[in-house]
Amino acid sequence: MAATAIQIEHLSKLYRLGTIGTGSLRQDMQRWWTMAVRKKADPYFQLDSTSARNSGQSLWALQDISFEVQQGEVWGLVGNNGAGKSTLLKIVSRIVRPTHGVVRGRGRVSSLLEVGTGFQAELTGRENIFLSGYILGMSKQEIRARFDEIVAFSGIEKFLDTPVKRYSSGMYVRLAFAVAAHLEPDILILDEVLAVGDAEFQKKCLGKMREVSQNTGRTILFVSHSMQAITNLCTKGIWLQNGKMKAIGEASQVVNQYLADTQQSNLHQSWNTPAGAPGNDFIRFKKVALVPQLAAPDEVLDIRTPLTVQFEFWNQTDDVLLSTNLVLFSSSGECIFDVPSAAVVCHSGVVSGECTIPGNFLNDGAYYVSLFVVKDTNTPLYDYENCLSFELEDYRGEIKWYGKWWGAVRPLFPFQLTQVETAVY
Amino acid sequence: MQAPLESYRPPAAATPAAKWDWEIRPQTSWWGAGLAEYWSYRHLLIGLVRRDFLLGYQQTLLGPLWMLVQPLMTVITYVLVFGKVIGISTGSVPPVLFYLAGIVLWNLFNDSFLGTSATFSENAHIFSKVYFPRLLIPGARLASFLLSFGIQFGSLLLLLLYYWLFAGWAAPMPERLPLALLAVGLVSIQSIALGLLFSVLTGKYRDIKFLVGLGTRLLMFLTPVIYPMQHVAPKWRWLTELNPLTPLFELFRWALLGQGLVTAGQVLYSLGFTLLLFVVSVMTFNKQGDKLMDVV
Repeated sequence: MAATAIQIEHLSKLYRLGTIGTGSLRQDMQRWWTMAVRKKADPYFQLDSTSARNSGQSLWALQDISFEVQQGEVWGLVGNNGAGKSTLLKIVSRIVRPTHGVVRGRGRVSSLLEVGTGFQAELTGRENIFLSGYILGMSKQEIRARFDEIVAFSGIEKFLDTPVKRYSSGMYVRLAFAVAAHLEPDILILDEVLAVGDAEFQKKCLGKMREVSQNTGRTILFVSHSMQAITNLCTKGIWLQNGKMKAIGEASQVVNQYLADTQQSNLHQSWNTPAGAPGNDFIRFKKVALVPQLAAPDEVLDIRTPLTVQFEFWNQTDDVLLSTNLVLFSSSGECIFDVPSAAVVCHSGVVSGECTIPGNFLNDGAYYVSLFVVKDTNTPLYDYENCLSFELEDYRGEIKWYGKWWGAVRPLFPFQLTQVETAVY
Repeated sequence: MQAPLESYRPPAAATPAAKWDWEIRPQTSWWGAGLAEYWSYRHLLIGLVRRDFLLGYQQTLLGPLWMLVQPLMTVITYVLVFGKVIGISTGSVPPVLFYLAGIVLWNLFNDSFLGTSATFSENAHIFSKVYFPRLLIPGARLASFLLSFGIQFGSLLLLLLYYWLFAGWAAPMPERLPLALLAVGLVSIQSIALGLLFSVLTGKYRDIKFLVGLGTRLLMFLTPVIYPMQHVAPKWRWLTELNPLTPLFELFRWALLGQGLVTAGQVLYSLGFTLLLFVVSVMTFNKQGDKLMDVV
């Protein structure tokens, strides 16, 4: 039975909003006069205001968070921006004080909330390794012992005695992370540090983190927006929303719940009458829907999910040769594909269509669907732009690489390696 | 502690604090950190002093020589302006020695006060990203200024030696040296204490920064830096004597140059003031510092 490394009890943090302490000397004097001399409530800041979270002047960044972290566990924190993840890390790192509650712990804590804290642009790489190591809580002996390792990891041997202001930004980040990666605290606190650097370097960082967490039994608290990294590196997860704990448990479950809640998808639209429906004199859409073929309804759309686009429209012209193109765009607006349907002769009334995008074909990311109705296979009738949108989560199975996967699509072709010959030594 | 596997709620009865290595509570400690913790960060202190030193003379022509050049230039200016042009008497002390002693000590006060008074506004980015006892930053600033003071003080002593050997000036009194060091100690404590207090204020109200610069310049005229106390008209002496820096400057000059107007009572007044100010400042710095972290 592992011992508890961190115990968090009823933790809350209240921030005052606006220019804090009112920001001006005059109002502060006025506030002091009301509060200290006339013994009245703070005119600018009421703590027990009834409207719980955003009462204009104050904001509960965290509300009543309690959990325990066992030694050697890797915890991932997920949540939207402003959910309180960073605040939680800052409290555990002793940077800010909680408003209520207690955090207790065993062992030395190092926090890495930013890459390159304490770096001094004018100083050389060598000086900065020491300075930033000291700031992160390492002793001189520890840094000396790992100095060569740090330099090798960062790959800046040649520039060790050059001021870091002359480094490329990539070199700077590599050096900064290298120092941090060689910290050996009992509890490591990491905030989004992997969002920097190129794919190659991210890969190296994640590998290092994995090595650290698995081999040395270190306790880690980790905030990331990369769900892939969280599911792969973390054993336990917490989902914070508006400062409250929304879910806690196995990392993969928490991540799934979080994603299911936040996927910004527009999967279904329908209209009862042609009036008001999108379209023009020729075409009015009745229904557009994206039906994912999921094994269970609470599953998340990921790159393995086959997606069926179903649509119906009112055709208002008789005896016309119609076809429809399904056009898929990535979130950055690039066209991924443009698939035409077979052309058929249609009459006034409702026409329906269906097309399935197979699973294991698209890369992860956000996508938009446009439907483009064409007459006589050459005359555009109506382009229903961005009628559907969806997001695909990443899924890599056993692949231990966490960087962003390249490519507009990620098809799964049969691909085999065969050992043809075995060398005999 | 035996916690059930799936229970994330801590048990209602809290474990005794003694079983934990550390604990974070809403209340702030008055002292910031324990002595053991300060000791464990000694490398950081040295690292910061080294940084200040390296940064100060990066890409300069003369490098650390500036530590000596700067006060010597000031002395020459003062000797010319106050001694020759305006004609302020420095008593029996050669003007060069008189001004150098004043300037060296004043620079220590001025630099370390100004250098620490912006602790929060200048280091907000570090304070908000990583924890270490925050007193280390102003502590390191003071240490670097003491370092350059040490070198300037050494050159002052050499100059004294020169005047004694070659200019036939009265013999220095080595037995008074500890008193000079006492004055230096009190001046540096006073400067960092004021700096800490003002760092909280400038962290909160940025405009106070301008007052700080103006205030120190005015304070210099209330301190016997460029004039000896005995030349102040007796009816105005009380004004300069109110200033707790005055006895320290007079003590410093009396110990080194044998000329100064100071009583034991004044030194005690200054000592009491300095220690009280220091305690109040450290407490304010630690208490208010945590609140400031929500702001910066």
